[in-house]
Amino acid sequence: MQTWDKRETEVTEGKSSYVREGVPSYLDERRHSQVGRSVPKVDAAAKVRGEAVYADDMTLPNMLYGKIKRCKEYAHAKIKKIDCSKALALPGVFAVLTGDEAPNKWGIVPHSCNETVLAIDKVRFYGEGVAAVAAIDEETAEAALDLIEVEYEPLPALLDPFESMARANEVVIHETNPDNIAFHGNQIYGDVDKAFAECEYVLEREFKTGMPQHGFIEPQSALASFDPHNGRLHLWSSNQVPHYLHRQLSIVTEIPMSKIRVTIPTVGGGFGGKGEACPNEFAACILSRKTGRPVKITYERSEVFFTSKGRHPCHMKMKIGIDKDGYIQAVDFDNTMDKGAYASWGVVVMFYTGSMVHLPYKIPNVRSYLRNVYTNKPSSGALRGLGGVQPRLAMEVMLDEMAEMMGISPYELKMKNAVVSGYTAANNMYVPHTEYKRCLETAVEKSSYLEKHGKLPFGKGIGLAGGNYISGTAYTLYQNYKPHTTVVLRVDTEGGVTVQCACTDIGQGVDTVIAQFTAEALGVYFEDVHVVVRDTETATFDLGTFASRLTYATGTAVKAAAEPINQKLKEIAGQKLGCRADQLIIKDHKIYSMYETKKTMSWDEAVDIATSTVGTLVGVGHFSPPRRKGIDIVTGNRIQGGNIGHSPTFGFSCQIHEVEVDVETGRIRVKKVTEAGDMGTPVNPMAADGQVEGSIVYNMGAALYEDQVIGADGRHLNPNFHDYKMPTSMEMPDMFINTLKDSYDPTAPFGAKETGEGAVQPTFPAITNAVYDAIGIRFYQVPITPEMVLRALKEKKEKEAGCGA
Amino acid sequence: MKQQISLDINGRVYDLVISHRDLLVDVLRKKLGLTGTKKGCGNGDCAACTVQVDGEPTLSCLTLAISCQGKKIITVEGLAQPGGALHPIQEAFVNQGAIQCGYCTPGMVMSAKALLDKNPKPTLEEIKLAISGNLCRCTGYKRIIEAIEIAAATMSAQEVK
Amino acid sequence: MYTNEFEYLAPTTPAEAFELVGRLGSKARILAGGTDLVVLMKDKLTSPEYVIDIKNIKEFKGIKYELGKGMTIGATTKISEVQYSEIVQEKYPALAYAASQLGGTQVRHMGTIGGNTCNASPSGETPTPLVALGAKVVLSSAAGERELPLEDFITGVRRLDLKEGEILTRFILPEPSPKSVSRYTYAGARDAMEIDCVNMAVNFELEDDKETIKYVKFVLGSVFIKPLVSKEVPALLIGQKFSDALVEKAVAAAQGEAKPISDVRASEWYRNEMVGNLTRRLLKEAFAAAREV
Repeated sequence: MQTWDKRETEVTEGKSSYVREGVPSYLDERRHSQVGRSVPKVDAAAKVRGEAVYADDMTLPNMLYGKIKRCKEYAHAKIKKIDCSKALALPGVFAVLTGDEAPNKWGIVPHSCNETVLAIDKVRFYGEGVAAVAAIDEETAEAALDLIEVEYEPLPALLDPFESMARANEVVIHETNPDNIAFHGNQIYGDVDKAFAECEYVLEREFKTGMPQHGFIEPQSALASFDPHNGRLHLWSSNQVPHYLHRQLSIVTEIPMSKIRVTIPTVGGGFGGKGEACPNEFAACILSRKTGRPVKITYERSEVFFTSKGRHPCHMKMKIGIDKDGYIQAVDFDNTMDKGAYASWGVVVMFYTGSMVHLPYKIPNVRSYLRNVYTNKPSSGALRGLGGVQPRLAMEVMLDEMAEMMGISPYELKMKNAVVSGYTAANNMYVPHTEYKRCLETAVEKSSYLEKHGKLPFGKGIGLAGGNYISGTAYTLYQNYKPHTTVVLRVDTEGGVTVQCACTDIGQGVDTVIAQFTAEALGVYFEDVHVVVRDTETATFDLGTFASRLTYATGTAVKAAAEPINQKLKEIAGQKLGCRADQLIIKDHKIYSMYETKKTMSWDEAVDIATSTVGTLVGVGHFSPPRRKGIDIVTGNRIQGGNIGHSPTFGFSCQIHEVEVDVETGRIRVKKVTEAGDMGTPVNPMAADGQVEGSIVYNMGAALYEDQVIGADGRHLNPNFHDYKMPTSMEMPDMFINTLKDSYDPTAPFGAKETGEGAVQPTFPAITNAVYDAIGIRFYQVPITPEMVLRALKEKKEKEAGCGA
Repeated sequence: MKQQISLDINGRVYDLVISHRDLLVDVLRKKLGLTGTKKGCGNGDCAACTVQVDGEPTLSCLTLAISCQGKKIITVEGLAQPGGALHPIQEAFVNQGAIQCGYCTPGMVMSAKALLDKNPKPTLEEIKLAISGNLCRCTGYKRIIEAIEIAAATMSAQEVK
Repeated sequence: MYTNEFEYLAPTTPAEAFELVGRLGSKARILAGGTDLVVLMKDKLTSPEYVIDIKNIKEFKGIKYELGKGMTIGATTKISEVQYSEIVQEKYPALAYAASQLGGTQVRHMGTIGGNTCNASPSGETPTPLVALGAKVVLSSAAGERELPLEDFITGVRRLDLKEGEILTRFILPEPSPKSVSRYTYAGARDAMEIDCVNMAVNFELEDDKETIKYVKFVLGSVFIKPLVSKEVPALLIGQKFSDALVEKAVAAAQGEAKPISDVRASEWYRNEMVGNLTRRLLKEAFAAAREV
């Protein structure tokens, strides 16, 4: 057994975090040995050996392969007829499925469920599924698809939200929404107009964002096995929300949840794209029920592009007012979003964009007008940092511009307005803890921003932007106030330490984090913990991987679950050591008196006694987020925004990007990024820095290269990785990550907050601001393509020549 | 058209019946259960399916299995060291935190191996180039590149193949 | 996506290959690297009954150079061999550089120089410098051989002057003039895995005064249905002293000759701008290099 001190412990200002000066160790809640350790991920060795099992790596005896027939003719069309008879007659085909056989609507948000497994009556986007087959092998299944005959009657395709609203009198995408508006909402806090009237500096700008997609490397894959003997269904699928998937499966198949088991194998990336059910999951289940054999459906890359639900393109107007002393007084925000074909996470993302305007600066008056509009395009949904990055782009770019108007540094303006711990926003979002100012200070100092900004030669530039993200969510998507996460810990001499929780690791590392939490809470080593996760039957309830919720949620639940176990072990040890149980401390496999270090016994011995006398020790812990919704009975303030935006705490960060612009090709290259982040305690510093590095390159992609292109007829023109251009190793900038290692949120479990989504927030505006610094052109749109740069440079040149003449 | 062929994979010769159209990635994954080789795009755009064929980094999703007769194929499963220890490249990936979701990892590792087999002391730029066809969506590449640098140093010191 | 069923044939001698290609004609496709053909077959853009793999024929591969006589490059020579060949780097640097910028590492180790030409995609990387360097293709069949300038061999998008029974077996590159330089450049969104939206190559030589342009062959890729050999740029430059004003005339001429289209990778406007800016960049680079020779 390795002990903690042989391992790397993170160092804070030259001192080990294991002992803090001036604080008696027995009173120091930050005295961690397992949290704060940089350990390789629990599944790293299996993954690097190629032994980790992903959904498509699985086979079951007698398994069939399924494929989905997609509409490749139109983006919007009535289905007149589907004839599957020839496909069914093909040798090796076992079953076909059409939409009418599974008419129950599904969707992640209960009040906007409007998808069916396969299209019924009409298709609403290019590539929508219209039929499915199960066959002896994939080749036969694919051949069968070609034999399915579908007759369509084309309808006009609406490809732009404004066109969609304007033409609603002639073309309606969903009968339930005759104006083609999926959702709309207004959020008004304070008196924005009055505040603007009193402001010294007012600026209004319009912004537009592209349509990036998740780009996880593992395509969706689902393997279903229905047992006709007992009516039970077992699904293995690459999904990040097993619980919500479980619910949707029950709704669509009409099998009670208690007879459905969802197991999530290793997941090859999600980024929100596997954050709801997917038609291949339903189709595999239903085809399995039809055939009585297991059925696996794995998507082609093009199918991933057609069906998975990327970032909402946003058309935003933002107006910011700043008073003569440099304090932001008002923000007016108007957002028209491109929903694409189906509801998905649409209402959630829409309200997030409104809520996200309230942080990370103190703004007393905020008004948001929001609408999310159906179009005949791939549906927009949840994508890393959802709802945050679009308004973040607008605000950070405008503050850069306004600082210039005011003749001050953007850094100064942002520092002046940055939120501080204990801040309550106008919309009642509460920030218990923040180190945002220190993020700004650190990144500015480490990058020499102040020395470089405005002083680099033409073509080179530096840009600063900050950001924040929620760390957990406040409500379930369906009306229920049950705990969001349940953890069961089990300790005995046979199994050692086992933690059970159906939380889902999609690469971000929660399996490792929950093991570190468990080890810390029980006073053992990370290496001792067995992790039982990602299964609705063998693991306990968890809401899913989204909203950067798992570090906070699992940490809280683990702490609670450890208490009864620790109590029992302390009682046993107290009897043996002859001291009070409440004066004992459990750490590093030892139980000892906090006052008399000689009074000590081994944790393993205590567990042996417990197992032999009372049996296996079990602890259950729950996490329920604080409720901040409704009407405050003291102030009478109503907290708006539905279930959205309230979070137990928030992560913060600042990024400074240095770019070079090739003025002959318009290419922008990000050369260097200096980041400073407040994620509370970094639970696994190595993994946490990896999240930040990944985040930077991730959103650099959508800032510069990535965009799904839809043709005038609604066809998807780049459903592949050669024309949907994600950053390669050659695009990687030098990255300097300065995570604030000593940050600690006293309200959070072990002081830890999120970093998986917060770190994508500043990337768009930091690059945009750096490009302005480089060539004097401010872009209000991403991605900033070489063509946009070249056109803008040409216009600028012509303008300047015109002025000179 | 079906035919019996022999393939030399990870030092073992497999006799198997394949269809002429079968791609190496499908034969590895479906016929032989060597699922360490991943399929991310099927079009040669992501390189998750990279294996070594006669030492060269090869996209198994665009390679006809039948064309590999008489050649030496190494997949990620073939990197195992005596006693099941990790190959130095694998060990460096684990220790550097170069693995998140892990789906690109086998392809990355095989690209790194093909590089280091030929060029035991690559420069940073050569490492970046060698993996520039391998898409990773999680890590931002930084730790992968660091891991390959460390592996190169370790392998030079240990003379591991 | 799966290809259709087909029969795979792997001849080991040229004679066997010519016999097969002659007999099977349009029912067969030739497999040289597979990085393009297999993708096309998966997408069912081509569904041949036979696939003839010519990679096992040693006569069809390899780089041979003889001082004063030039180079032959076998059609199934890997792109990576061309990229790393010291003699190619020394004598035909535009070709070596273009090869190094094609696809990713794996594609360069799989793809062949003959395949890149026979794929006849307007955005192909190596045909542009090959044409600039005066490459001829050798088309072989059971009946014999014929030679053709590469610019005449590629006739359009995925179209070749390849008669039934013929195989592209090698490229012949003339010995470069000792004072000449060749350069290649391209525009794409990223620094790897790019499909060029514009590429171009120049073969360039100065008179002994190091000012007057003696020879120029200038070729544009991705802006026409096939590699576009500029007529106007040499007409403008040859015999003239190199100057910025002259380069600007060449830029305008190149833009006038290019016939780019708009597609998912770039607009016609951007491609045309790139033709201009890259022509300027490339000619200046070539001039600077030629002065040093």
